[in-house]
Amino acid sequence: MSSGMLYGGDEIGALVFDPGHHSLRVGYAQEDTPKAEIPACVGVAPDDSPKLEPEVKPDDGNVTTSSSAYKYYIDTTFLHTPRPNMELHHYMKDGMIENWDLFEKILDYSYEKIIQSESQYHPVLFSECPWNQRQKREKLTEIMFEKYKVPAFFLVKNAALAAFANGRATALVIDSGATHTTAVPVLDGYVLTNAVVKSPLGGDYLVIRSKEMLESIGIDLTPASLVANKEVVREKDKPRFTKKKISFTPSNSYMSYMIKRTVQDFQQTVLQVSDLPYDERTALNLPALHYEFPSGYHQDFGPERFKLAEGLFDHAVLGAGHLAATSAGMCDVDIRPALYSSVVLTGGNSLVQGFSERLSKDLSSRTPGSMRLKMIAANGTVERRFGSWVGGSILASIGTFQQMWVSMQEYQESGKAQIDRKCP
Amino acid sequence: MASGVTVSDSCKTTYEEIKKDKKHRYVIFFIKDERQIDVEVIGARDEEYEQFLTNLQAGGAGECRYGLFDFEYMHQCQGTSESSKKQKLFLMSWCPDTAKVKKKMLYSSSFDALKKSLVGVQKYIQATDLSEASQEAVEEKLRATDRQ
Repeated sequence: MSSGMLYGGDEIGALVFDPGHHSLRVGYAQEDTPKAEIPACVGVAPDDSPKLEPEVKPDDGNVTTSSSAYKYYIDTTFLHTPRPNMELHHYMKDGMIENWDLFEKILDYSYEKIIQSESQYHPVLFSECPWNQRQKREKLTEIMFEKYKVPAFFLVKNAALAAFANGRATALVIDSGATHTTAVPVLDGYVLTNAVVKSPLGGDYLVIRSKEMLESIGIDLTPASLVANKEVVREKDKPRFTKKKISFTPSNSYMSYMIKRTVQDFQQTVLQVSDLPYDERTALNLPALHYEFPSGYHQDFGPERFKLAEGLFDHAVLGAGHLAATSAGMCDVDIRPALYSSVVLTGGNSLVQGFSERLSKDLSSRTPGSMRLKMIAANGTVERRFGSWVGGSILASIGTFQQMWVSMQEYQESGKAQIDRKCP
Repeated sequence: MASGVTVSDSCKTTYEEIKKDKKHRYVIFFIKDERQIDVEVIGARDEEYEQFLTNLQAGGAGECRYGLFDFEYMHQCQGTSESSKKQKLFLMSWCPDTAKVKKKMLYSSSFDALKKSLVGVQKYIQATDLSEASQEAVEEKLRATDRQ
């Protein structure tokens, strides 16, 4: 316990970071929701502003200027404004941090604008994907201790956090996020990494399908940030709007990102998974939903709602139900009943209407007769979207957990490999 | 990964009293001050399962607990005409859906520590509602590992 006392009990102001493909969640431990959700995307533009006094920081707020000739634009407001020559870059790849330079920019921004405190005063808990590589974990540890001088650091698998937050130490966690859907078995808080099953069908896949559909019926997808004003038109009439006058053409990466955001809103509002496998005739009888695009165009969407969302389930091998069954099948026979009886659903994409009902139907047909299926899905949007973050927030605030951290002292004595010993 | 919560010695001694001496029927554990797992209620040998459930939920819908029960049931082995009485110990983590995330997190991440210190428990059960904690559900789980 002696090392636990070093950090002075519960009030340690630990920070929790939960990086994902869609966004990075940042906030203080013990709080219910993250302080900020920063898009996992950084805008980079050449710095044209004349440098008269390089010592003075520009006063326009959230723009981080580095010594190099680039300006970095971070967070929704700054990212969504069109700027000449601004290219958007993602720093995540396959669930892991790929571009460390950009990621550090995001961390700088988080400390400066969101936490508004210095990094050396706050222990940091990071979540990671179950298949994170050793070298990446060590690199992150190194950055946190060397660059940010954090007093203590910890890494937890996001699936374990989601399971704990739902009251289970053993569970089969179905995490449907932006770029993929995964089935991760967790046993006593440890992730069984060899039985993790992934599929690339997630929120982004739905966005691509929706975009194809919308473009094929000729809907203008001009993002809201480029619309100057619009007029009220009748349903299915050609939209009448004027574009903002900008003297340059926004880069392709900017346009595709903004269009993606537009379609994403459509997807989250309109799409619904049907209870049973998609059938054109039944879908026709279900209520249609009205949606208006930023351009002012609006119409009802009927069967399309279900047809598009069906993509998450109709695939024989990659459907969510199949993922879960495969993952459980790869685990030891003895723990399968425990896994089936606690299937935890998390991730932002699982909020597509009807997702949990359909998954539970799909899974119950795949559950062996001798086992009972129980699906646990948090009701609140926040709990589902930020499931791992909330778990991390609580874990980091538990008094006794303080002795588990990798402290600065330990890092200095034993180096970055310490992370592999203390954080399984 | 665990929360660092420890298990008090009284948990272990009470457990041994049930396991070896059959002195009590059940015991309910709780986490004291977010630091240590301790004994809350000890159930007499003649108490019924219902009383165990009541005590398990005594804290209200927002509380989590652990419970250990010495469960008895009749079991008939294949090829025999007489059924015999079986005794099995199970350890249950009770985390109702209505509990605060903080409680759920604390109890589920500390379950492993309790599991490790109580050696010889036959079955571990995670329950979030009565459909998983009822006598029938528990008996079904315990029987699942018996030979027919």
